[in-house]
Amino acid sequence: MTDNPMLNEWYPVGILTELTSEGRDTLLMGEPIHVARDAGGNPVVATKDGRCLPVRARYGHVWTSLGTPAKELFDIPEADQPGRRLVDVGVVRVKCSPLRAVENFLDIAHFPFVHTDILGAEPHTEVQRYEVQIREEVDEVWATKVKFYQPQAAKSAEGGITTDYMYRVPAPTVSILYKTCPPRPGEWDVITLFVQPMAEDLCQVWPWMALFDDQTPMTDLIHFQQMIFLQDRSILENQLPRLLPLDPGMEIPTRADMTSVAYRRWLKRHGFTYGAQLVAA
Amino acid sequence: MPQNWTAVALSRDVPPQVVIPTVVEGRELAVWRSQSGRIAAWEDRCPHRGMRLSHGFVRGEALSCIYHGWSYNEAGLCQRIPAHPDLVPPDAIRVPTLTAAESDGIIWVTAESTDRPPPKMPGFTPLRSLTVEVPASTITAVSASPIGEDGDLRLALAGIACLLLVQPLPGDRTALHALVAAGTSPTAQASVSRALEDLRHQAETERQAA
Repeated sequence: MTDNPMLNEWYPVGILTELTSEGRDTLLMGEPIHVARDAGGNPVVATKDGRCLPVRARYGHVWTSLGTPAKELFDIPEADQPGRRLVDVGVVRVKCSPLRAVENFLDIAHFPFVHTDILGAEPHTEVQRYEVQIREEVDEVWATKVKFYQPQAAKSAEGGITTDYMYRVPAPTVSILYKTCPPRPGEWDVITLFVQPMAEDLCQVWPWMALFDDQTPMTDLIHFQQMIFLQDRSILENQLPRLLPLDPGMEIPTRADMTSVAYRRWLKRHGFTYGAQLVAA
Repeated sequence: MPQNWTAVALSRDVPPQVVIPTVVEGRELAVWRSQSGRIAAWEDRCPHRGMRLSHGFVRGEALSCIYHGWSYNEAGLCQRIPAHPDLVPPDAIRVPTLTAAESDGIIWVTAESTDRPPPKMPGFTPLRSLTVEVPASTITAVSASPIGEDGDLRLALAGIACLLLVQPLPGDRTALHALVAAGTSPTAQASVSRALEDLRHQAETERQAA
């Protein structure tokens, strides 16, 4: 792990509103860390041997890095847009590679089978062609013009609609989803997946949302997303091998998997291989 | 001659349209029965994204992966990718299959190619399966009975002749598929079943003491 580019990335390690002065212990890429708030209420993160780590307080979460981040924490402009409700969904611990958790989030083809009658339903299983690119100027993976039929796209949706999506990967364990916003046509709801890599085959998933929805009670919004992620967990803990195979041959992608193909290519290009396996076993 | 068939379940425990996970010679498998009653044993992994097929679902004569619904015909060939309903999947997308066969109410699997049919257990009728948290060697030690070449361990339980088909599992666990003498009354079968649980308890206690 000495020459591991992922050490220099930012990772979520807790929810800002849940920090205490006693703090709590957790793991980041195998390293025990302590997350707390100081007397002034600011988040502090330190390793077991007392090394203070860089900290950012953003998007409802505490972010830190074990190395020296070359880039500032990625920007989500929508986070500051007036009228949005910001939702800290909580944490789901998953016994899987942090990279597999992100890849699953980028996938729509599983909706009818894993999130049956919620995010998808047979016979509406077809994935139309969409566009994927690695945007070199910002060094992010983007998928656009993604469309899928959904029986209940969001808590605020009534009945089935074809939902438009965009996906964005600004960091190896972060994905941001932009999705049709039922009450406000023309705007996008933002749903993120922030993943804390605890080990190569263990992670904590911290979903976060920035929605235009004045109606739905907060607990309902949280329960809806938690239900979705618990359904995903039943998949993620049963994939073989546990680590994400970056070399072709181990798994077979189709056109619906273009985002995953680009994500894997981007990970490999940057040497983001914590949670990946490079040689087909 | 070493036996190459492993008993993995009682036939009645895998009814039509059911899939179960098991392990034979260290290989993780999905054993499933089609609507028409055909039994099959496949590698427990969808070639698309590596999801366990034992979490999947059976429709007609095909097994489908629960992740994206890719379905595989009886030869293990992918026949449908729901994300692309008009696509004819290439033959390269296939699940490795093993040989499964049934004999007298027991499902047998072999990882080798063989002309030899699965063993017969004349005079016995299937009772139940159970998993014990000990290696097979502890079972033989506790029951003071050796394992025969068909994986069969013969002993008396509750005074009735029984036969245990021994299936070694990873992590020092063992599945036992129990048969009793044909014609044993339901009451006596219940006594055998309790004696079997006593045997399990004894073996697991032995193991903890060791």
